[in-house]
Amino acid sequence: MMRTVSALKKLTGDEQALEVVTDHAPALETIPTQAARLGFRTDIEESGASEWRITITRTEVEEGA
Amino acid sequence: MAVVVYVVAHAADTEFSMFWVFGLAFGFVLQRGRFCFASAFRDIFLLGHARTMKGLLLGLAVGAVGFGLVMGRQVPMTSLGIYPPSANVLPLGIHTVLGGLLFGIGMVVAGGCVSGSIYRMGEGYVASWVAFAGVMGGLLVSAYTWNWWWEAHISRTQRFWLPHWIGHSGALVVTLLALAAVYVWVVSIEHRAGMVIPPVQPAHTQPESVADDLRSGARRLFVQGWPVLPAGAVLGALNVLLFTAKEPWGFTGEVSRWSIGAASVVNIAPGPLAGLESLPGCVLVPSDGRFFNHMLFLVAGMFFGSFAAAVGAGEFKIRVPKRPVRYAQSLGGGVIMGYGSGIGMGCTIGAFFSAIPSFALNGWVFGGFLALGAWIGTHIIRRID
Repeated sequence: MMRTVSALKKLTGDEQALEVVTDHAPALETIPTQAARLGFRTDIEESGASEWRITITRTEVEEGA
Repeated sequence: MAVVVYVVAHAADTEFSMFWVFGLAFGFVLQRGRFCFASAFRDIFLLGHARTMKGLLLGLAVGAVGFGLVMGRQVPMTSLGIYPPSANVLPLGIHTVLGGLLFGIGMVVAGGCVSGSIYRMGEGYVASWVAFAGVMGGLLVSAYTWNWWWEAHISRTQRFWLPHWIGHSGALVVTLLALAAVYVWVVSIEHRAGMVIPPVQPAHTQPESVADDLRSGARRLFVQGWPVLPAGAVLGALNVLLFTAKEPWGFTGEVSRWSIGAASVVNIAPGPLAGLESLPGCVLVPSDGRFFNHMLFLVAGMFFGSFAAAVGAGEFKIRVPKRPVRYAQSLGGGVIMGYGSGIGMGCTIGAFFSAIPSFALNGWVFGGFLALGAWIGTHIIRRID
């Protein structure tokens, strides 16, 4: 979670999305909240047995599209 | 397997089987609710996120109402100055402060408290096994220093039970108001941290048949993670049932029995521990030469309950830490937690989750310093990362 927030803060203006793969279920609650606070939305999909892919996208990209 | 253990345990001692069932239930709910007491404290300071803390506060409120009813029958006349026999009303002193502080630091550094480590062991987290080994080591170290603590301080301290001053009703009202005040505080922290997003709810489709409806219900119960509020309420209710049956939820005393027992095998066990017979709660338990007791079934049940829940939900997976520093964190944090729970006479469960509903002042002091320790712990893990 902390690494995700750190990576989101380091994204430059050209980089619009971050993909996180996690096998830690509680992160499915904390990452979306922290991402929203930084102006991102999240999509979660199950990518394997007890593994999830979280796609985090800048909100303004969605709005501008 | 759970049924076989139940039958065998029941044949040996009905208390064994009862504690096995309670353990299974606690483990199942902890895993389904992803209910980690360490993250309840840590996430407030690290993320400004109070999801688990809200469930914990509800569990404490449910526990307070239930414990209040039980203690009202155990001690109808509070003016007599006696204590409910099995409630976690513990001596209050510097050991409570230091125990809470160390436990708070240790649980954040280790990535989980003792109950959190047990349920994550059942999910396949290798780091939690290491943390649990650290807790056993810390409890053993606390046993070596126990007699010093007893002679120098604990034997001179008092137990403070709110109903002695304000009666059962007054103690319940004060406890619920204090929990409400903490709720307001954590919600204000969430709002200061920025926008708060409610948990994402999966889309529900209208079930087409009774079978669909039942499948959907079973999926919510056994596959999807539980919302934290029902999980907290169920944990509080289970704690009330266990207290009604025998004693409040708590297990670090039992884990200390394993540590001291293992040490005695290699002749490094501490000598006799002073004062323990006069103390309730999760105090250290000297090795008695027996392997089985009712608390062993409680702890083992928590592990198997979580394991069964994780397997049923498809969430069991052996998770090996990718960074070596994680092992050091788990072991070091576990040792600190173990020492804190040894001198504090309990962990987030026995000295906090079962002490506040016991209307014991030590529960609030332990909890306050747990929070301070968690705050320090968040600074430590930020530096490590």
